[in-house]
Amino acid sequence: MKTMSKAIEIENFTYRYPDGTPALSDISLSVEHGRKLALIGPNGAGKSTLLLVMAGFARGTGKVLVDGLEVNSKNLKKIRTRLGCCLENPDDQLFMPTLFDDVAFGPLNMGLEPEQVKSRVAEALATVGLAKMADKAPHHLSAGQKRAAAIATILAMSPRIITLDEPDGSLDPRNRNNLMKLLRSLPQTLIIATCNMNFAAALADRAVLLDKGRIIADGEAKTIMSDAKLMAEHGLEVAQMKL
Amino acid sequence: MHHAHIDKFAYQDSTIHRLDSRVKFLVVLVFTAVVISLPRSSLSILACYAIGPFAVLVWAGIPLKFVFKQILLVSPFVIVLALSCPLYDRTPVAVSFGPFSWQSSLGWLRCFVILGKFIVTMLALIGLVSTTRFSDLLAGLQKLGMPRLLVIQLGFLYRYIFVLIDRAHHIMRARAGRKLRNLGFKTELRTAASMLGSLFIRSIDTAEHISIAMQARGFDGNWRTLSKLKVRRCDLFFALTAAVFMSGLYFFVKPILQ
Repeated sequence: MKTMSKAIEIENFTYRYPDGTPALSDISLSVEHGRKLALIGPNGAGKSTLLLVMAGFARGTGKVLVDGLEVNSKNLKKIRTRLGCCLENPDDQLFMPTLFDDVAFGPLNMGLEPEQVKSRVAEALATVGLAKMADKAPHHLSAGQKRAAAIATILAMSPRIITLDEPDGSLDPRNRNNLMKLLRSLPQTLIIATCNMNFAAALADRAVLLDKGRIIADGEAKTIMSDAKLMAEHGLEVAQMKL
Repeated sequence: MHHAHIDKFAYQDSTIHRLDSRVKFLVVLVFTAVVISLPRSSLSILACYAIGPFAVLVWAGIPLKFVFKQILLVSPFVIVLALSCPLYDRTPVAVSFGPFSWQSSLGWLRCFVILGKFIVTMLALIGLVSTTRFSDLLAGLQKLGMPRLLVIQLGFLYRYIFVLIDRAHHIMRARAGRKLRNLGFKTELRTAASMLGSLFIRSIDTAEHISIAMQARGFDGNWRTLSKLKVRRCDLFFALTAAVFMSGLYFFVKPILQ
């Protein structure tokens, strides 16, 4: 019987930075489709690096599968249509002269027809609430709008998995709540790297605690993020959550 | 942080704004070439040529205060160049303007022609960038055959110059916040070098992140965009009017005024 592939499967993965500093050590992680996973940990824990590993931007030893495809040069193009990665700084993600061009960038590279591209752009911008801003230049957007626009650039490619690096960074409470609503409404598998426990607790059903490049804990978000001792040991705080 | 963007008024809506960027670019290019090629004894015809871009700016609703501020901003180099003319060319010439005539030097005449040509061509250029979104201008340039790599570079330059300016401001503010006394020239120089270095390293960092963002969205080295440009009847009418205006002045008015 053919088994359904997982969204992410990582086995005994180890990665060192080019200068030899260990970044990730013996990581094993499996994420089912449709889950919302929070990657939590202090600064420098390896969360962003792990997200880059999933998108094929950092190669080490061990096995990494994305939606059943092994991360290697041959599969990279397919992987990038299935896994969308949203970087920490939206200014890095939005590099085109207009929002329309930015959101259309991915679908055009997928080889879609112009009409399909236009419809995907319109749909993605409507999903994030920026339908009327297609002709705006990214540097004219507010921080919250930039974050939403960065997510739209990913949504337009219709990936099955979305990784987000510190998506709540530099957002005010209103924009953070809007972002939470948006992320909750997405049907895709979400992997969110964050240091903000309240944000993680409000979104994720599962949490993985990383510190010094190792997985320290992996389990139900509620259990991990309410463990005061565990959180304090790794420089984190208990989430003030309504679970 | 808010910046004074060069295309600050390009997001307005007017007939001029709606014209195809390629047509506007070509008209400005030809206009500039014609104005530059005018002989040095043609100050009065220069004034006639200024009517064209002036009318376009007024029609498009671009504040003239903004236009002259922009001209002043880029004028120092040209002013120095123009003012140096009277110093090295003192050949006497007779100048006439309507019923008035007086003696001057060829250097002063050159000075005023350089300034006149600069102002008229700048009016046209500001008219172009103030009525055309930079993205449309880039798309138009690409359609007109400008090398794709250059168009991409210009796009990135326009997108990230403001990010870079913001970063430079932040670094300078951080320095000002901790600089409590005069540190001397050498120390100041060393600090400035460190600041520049930091800016450079952060720029490289940003470039790496942009590269990741592009590859993550399937970029394989081929730049693909959707063109929304379309030449309509009003674009052809504008081009025709501009051609009639320029050639009319050149072939009929110029010989009378000379």
